[in-house]
Amino acid sequence: MGFFKLTKTGIAIALSAQLMLSTTAVTMVQAEMLGTDAAISKYAQHSDRSFLMGELQREEVRAQIVALGVDPAEAEARLAALSDAEVASIVTQMENDSAGADIIGTLFTIFIILLVTDILCLTRIFNFTRCVR
Amino acid sequence: MSDTDLQLHPLRALRLFCLLAFSWLAGCAAPFNPDERLTVDVPPRATVAGVPLIQQEAFYCGPTSIAMVMQWSGHDVTQDDIASLAFSPGAGGTYLADMIGSARRKGQLAVEINNFDALLSEIGAGHPVIVFQNLGLGVAPVWHYGVVTGYDLQKDEVYLNSGQLEQMVMPFALFERTWRRGDFWGLVVLPPDDLPVSVSETKVLQAAAALERVEQYRSAETLYETGAARWPGNWLWQFGLGNARYAQGDLRGARQALRQARRIAPDIPEIRNNLAQVESEL
Repeated sequence: MGFFKLTKTGIAIALSAQLMLSTTAVTMVQAEMLGTDAAISKYAQHSDRSFLMGELQREEVRAQIVALGVDPAEAEARLAALSDAEVASIVTQMENDSAGADIIGTLFTIFIILLVTDILCLTRIFNFTRCVR
Repeated sequence: MSDTDLQLHPLRALRLFCLLAFSWLAGCAAPFNPDERLTVDVPPRATVAGVPLIQQEAFYCGPTSIAMVMQWSGHDVTQDDIASLAFSPGAGGTYLADMIGSARRKGQLAVEINNFDALLSEIGAGHPVIVFQNLGLGVAPVWHYGVVTGYDLQKDEVYLNSGQLEQMVMPFALFERTWRRGDFWGLVVLPPDDLPVSVSETKVLQAAAALERVEQYRSAETLYETGAARWPGNWLWQFGLGNARYAQGDLRGARQALRQARRIAPDIPEIRNNLAQVESEL
């Protein structure tokens, strides 16, 4: 019985130690300075067309657009054809949709690709785009 | 001899044709109408004083342009200094991205512009602007960087320091054609305590963060301070200021900036995280 008790205590100590260690590890991962770049991408206003155009220039977005059989130049031309108000509403919608998420990551890339395919009438995801055909 | 002449003949004809086509285009091109082309008010004429004229070495128009602008703002740099950071020998030229990158690695605020509104506004504010031009034709490009140092709408003249010891003067319509063939690419390069007037706050913020990325923390700090004074309601300036000071080991300064950021925006987790980190190290 004493043996079992001892074992139980041992396990308990071992488990608590492990728990403490892992908690410390998590805290240590969090304890670093977060970069200005990421904060700007997440919080700054991107209410301009050149920002959307800049996203279209990104290699990964471009590759996806080509993979979908769309000419990137045509995608740009379509985006350029939208009015300032339409661009502004797209950006606002984008910021709302991606609130709390990491908008520089994959999600954002997918957003831009779907935005382009929506405008090109290949998809119909967002209610604020209108199909140009 | 006659063979050579025969071989050259079609080429000459082609060149003549190009010149004819070009002058025809020039004849038909509408003169530059500032009322149509500009959506902002700019002074009828403006000149940026003190931009030196530097004779460029072969292919060094890019590095020379940055050197001229940085000498104007009081820095002791040569075209060779910039070329070592920017020039691509294999390409025989300097890529646009390396123009931006080299200016930032020299601790400068570098932001792109892309239209006449911005170009003339910056000149009007006393800032020279580097422009990317195609001095040839679309089919036979002659790429070139120059620095616009002034303009006069009445006289129809654009003034450029263009890698020669003499100032270059271009009519607006010709300048527009050469600049349009360069996709209206322009670059404002300023010391970090002088803000461009034609660029959005976000772009200036991104330029400041880029200075952090290339470890020009002192310049980044100055730019964040300048931006914070210009846009006091945006916590991101104080956040960047805190990060730039932290990177230089100035923990107390970092804490002060991050506390100011928290006063502006109490609920941002990034601010709380960085403030906690700084306080734990103090």
